[in-house]
Amino acid sequence: MSALDIRALVLVNTEPSFKYDPLPLAAPAALYDVAGQSPLLRLVAHLRRCGVSPVTAVIAAERSFFPPKSSWPSHFECRSSLDSNFWQTAEATFDEVAQSGASLVLLIRLGAYAEVEFEKMAQAHAERHCRVSQAFCADQALEIFCVTASRRNDAASLFRSRFQECRNQCPEFIHTGYMNPLADARDLRQLGIDILTLQTKTRPCGNEVRPGVWIAPDVGIDPTARVIAPAFIGTSARVGAGAVVTRCTAIEHGARVDCGTVVENSTVLASAYVGAGLDLAHSVVGMGRIANLRRNTTVEVADHNLIGHSPARGLRKLLRLTEEFLSSLSAKLGRETTPETPAPLPALESAPPAPDVASAAPGTPAGDIKDGEMAGVRTHGDQ
Amino acid sequence: METNSRPVVVKRMPERVNARTAREFWNDVQPFVVADRPQLVFDLSPVVQLDAAGVDMLLRCMAEVHKRDGDLKLAAPSEPAWVVLELTRTERLFEIYETAMDAVRSFSGFLPNAMRQQLLHKRPPTSTAA
Repeated sequence: MSALDIRALVLVNTEPSFKYDPLPLAAPAALYDVAGQSPLLRLVAHLRRCGVSPVTAVIAAERSFFPPKSSWPSHFECRSSLDSNFWQTAEATFDEVAQSGASLVLLIRLGAYAEVEFEKMAQAHAERHCRVSQAFCADQALEIFCVTASRRNDAASLFRSRFQECRNQCPEFIHTGYMNPLADARDLRQLGIDILTLQTKTRPCGNEVRPGVWIAPDVGIDPTARVIAPAFIGTSARVGAGAVVTRCTAIEHGARVDCGTVVENSTVLASAYVGAGLDLAHSVVGMGRIANLRRNTTVEVADHNLIGHSPARGLRKLLRLTEEFLSSLSAKLGRETTPETPAPLPALESAPPAPDVASAAPGTPAGDIKDGEMAGVRTHGDQ
Repeated sequence: METNSRPVVVKRMPERVNARTAREFWNDVQPFVVADRPQLVFDLSPVVQLDAAGVDMLLRCMAEVHKRDGDLKLAAPSEPAWVVLELTRTERLFEIYETAMDAVRSFSGFLPNAMRQQLLHKRPPTSTAA
């Protein structure tokens, strides 16, 4: 098996459906973070564990939904495509991958998230001398194919039929592990539950600070807030005073739950804001929408006091950098102007409002003042 | 609609209940709210958007109605209205009925009337036989 060069091509798009979907998502479900990482990046990590590398993804979605480049693993590449020529782009990418020396190419559409044992699938494919083999899970065909790289015509027939049929019969590879159809918000929520209850091989992306509670770095949780297992709080997320996060809830990166709100069995998507004093249950929240799984409905919430969208990570970072730049600039300017100010007080250098103190208490002996905080408060010598 | 005691006023809420429309709606219903022992039903079936100002207005109406010993009931909330009422934990404060008619009927099933009905049934028939 080690002699085989196995590469993967992952396709992410939303196929048009005539069926009414009460819980639609704005982008393919594979691009939303679930317990700290998107199903796409979880699949890429799983492929690498199975010895499949490099991985190329073709994505038909808005750029803002793409995984940030900083989170890409090595030997992974994302390509953007329009919905209209998605399958043509996929076919062209397959040709490139095949020409770059691959023996086998795994074609995966996300689509369903399945933790297929790709190593075994490739082995079965090679042993049976198949052109194309397909993964099945409990009689349900998955959009996961193993294609011999030299069989371009078979691959072309797959792409042209949008993975619906192959010109030759595909031997089946039976997958018995975890599978989630990832068709709508309900499936996205279910994947979150399954990850937090350890039904999957993939794990939440954070430190398990208590059994069943995963916290990512740079999280702000008020001391009076309660996080009850199983739960996940993502990077840079904020949980306000008196809030309760419970029952397999996942608060994704940059999301904010305001004071006194109870979040139960819900997913708060990245950068979403949930207002104060609310009771959020059995829902997926984000982009100003609530998908209520119990009522099987999606509602747009125009009131940003209830549900909103906090600034994106990039914007927040930009604001922080601007703030840092301004403070450093003001400090620099202050330093430049110090020669002009009369008699600097050495003991007051550490005090934040030093100029005020110096001007307010000209007669105070500078050497007596040791505490910076006190220096800020004192205006007369006898205080 | 009139029950066997006092009139029940049924008001249909606007499609979008935001700060402006909530104020307009409040102005509309205020004469009924400030009546003596008002009986009100708000039909929420047309609502497609309900925001915090709308919920606030509902609570205000309920507070005013209760002050005057009346009652305010909600009828046929649409899915968006239900989701926001649940989100803001206000659905537990109101009596909510599937239809406006059910809500109106519920006023006639008020305890004193129910007791009166029971009493009427229990009263021995006035015998004319002498």
